[in-house]
Amino acid sequence: MENTVKLQFEQPSFFKRLKGMLSVDFYRLFHTPLFYIFLGIAAIIPALVSMGAMGGGAEGAPTEATAMFTNAWQIIAAKSPLYVINDMGDYANMNMVFICGGIMISIFIGHDYKSGYVKQLFTTHAKKQDYMMSKTMLGAFSMACMCITYLIGGMISAAGTGLPFTVDAGSLICAILGKMIMSLGWASLYTFINVIFRSKFGISIALCFVLGTGIPVIGAAAVIGNSAALNVFLYGSSVYACLSANFVSVIVCLTVSVAWAVIYNILGSWILSKRDCY
Amino acid sequence: MNAIEIRNLTKNFGQKQALQGLNMTVPQGAIYGFIGENGSGKSTTEKIICGLIQPSGGSVKLFGRDYKDADVRAKVGVLIEAPGCFPNYSVWNNMMLQAANLGIENAEEEVRKVLRVVHMEGSASNKYKNCSLGMKQRIGIAFALLGNPTLLILDEPINGLDADGMRIMREVLTDVTKNYNCTVVISSHILGELEKIATHYGIVRGGKMIAEMTAEELNANCRTYVELKAKDMAATKAVLERKYTRVETDEEEYIRIYDGVKAEEVVDYMYNELRIAVTEIKTSKIGLEEYYIDLMKEGR
Repeated sequence: MENTVKLQFEQPSFFKRLKGMLSVDFYRLFHTPLFYIFLGIAAIIPALVSMGAMGGGAEGAPTEATAMFTNAWQIIAAKSPLYVINDMGDYANMNMVFICGGIMISIFIGHDYKSGYVKQLFTTHAKKQDYMMSKTMLGAFSMACMCITYLIGGMISAAGTGLPFTVDAGSLICAILGKMIMSLGWASLYTFINVIFRSKFGISIALCFVLGTGIPVIGAAAVIGNSAALNVFLYGSSVYACLSANFVSVIVCLTVSVAWAVIYNILGSWILSKRDCY
Repeated sequence: MNAIEIRNLTKNFGQKQALQGLNMTVPQGAIYGFIGENGSGKSTTEKIICGLIQPSGGSVKLFGRDYKDADVRAKVGVLIEAPGCFPNYSVWNNMMLQAANLGIENAEEEVRKVLRVVHMEGSASNKYKNCSLGMKQRIGIAFALLGNPTLLILDEPINGLDADGMRIMREVLTDVTKNYNCTVVISSHILGELEKIATHYGIVRGGKMIAEMTAEELNANCRTYVELKAKDMAATKAVLERKYTRVETDEEEYIRIYDGVKAEEVVDYMYNELRIAVTEIKTSKIGLEEYYIDLMKEGR
């Protein structure tokens, strides 16, 4: 039974592997309701925030809650980089997209495990770092899209508040761009969390939610004060992309986001390669 | 070059030792029947070969290379338990997604081809969740065949298949080994079916390989026995037990001698040496299932 023949082995290139995995992930993203539901949720959040700001609009007159915002664009980003939260107005802005993004990524990756897709994937030539990168890129894209729907929803909602729209356009663009860039870092964090907890996706969702709210950074800020050092964290840089943002803010966001993405991808790939996948 | 070469493979799950220095050699082009009781370590071994779980020790080589090499992995087709399909997608879409992951260029043509091989081309538009167990197993085989693998690892692939499904499976596996020089490792509890296609066997017990042999070796050495009847069965058995190492009485009261002897030798011995007349004698073969059960009994 020695009908041995010479076998040809071909190393699939990194780009070929990643392209294959990305095409599957994006196909799934666009062909499941999950993505569209979360885009919708991101668009609705500003309406809920502005309703809160208007005190529910019951009497039609400004209430104490109206003081949350003095400018319509504060629905998108805070006036200044405040890590210590004094009221909901400092907190309720586009950063909330990252909470939704965490939940969405947890469900998406949870489904990878539940369906057996991960099992099927890791029996092929796919490498663990390909998986981490593909999910990170998919999550970043999803959250960037949610930022856009949040922006559209925010503009429509802000129009209803009667607040002034006066803003430095450059700073606004830098703030929005900065937050969209932060999607990459957040997506890598969420992917990493989901890789650790694998199919226990209830824990992943809870942890993504807690970290997405920025509570650890807000807590740290309450202790050490409103320090710029907090910008090294994902939530810190996300806050830094505010209505007083400039080109430097975008660079800070880019650096922090990419740095964390690299760290989480390396750690996630290492963990995946060291432990059983199935 | 062997398709699979495993040496001293160990795997611990906490305190439990699932594999205890397992050795395994699968020649290229073989259909390797991997047999063992539940919990004996078959699936663990297969999952390690497939890269799904990490070994605690030992080495695994596929085609002489480390089993984790991407170029080797690209040549391995796998069906472990059930295929990893998205339940709300059609069979076709699931196949196309797998083809994309494998980087297959002419994906549509390739998917069509493997679906035809497993006789599932008519069900391509069905949602995966609506497929029967047998259909899902066939889809799993189709998944494993995508990308022209040179090694197929199939864990219980014939479970849930009807007679027609089993026939198709036999045809497919025989075809891929003969025409594409594919090596197949197949674990199954349906030994009668396995016996029809396997060219090699590996029997595992308690995380160790207790026997590896070719189908010919199994036929020649392990599976023939002489069974006879004589006037005084008790005395005959006692006499035979003095000469042969394994003499048993079966359910039909025949005395069985498993030592690989020929019927004529036994007759000669009994008549010439002992003056006992044999009233009935024949040479028979035990099936794989019976052999396997015997082997398992020996270990207990």
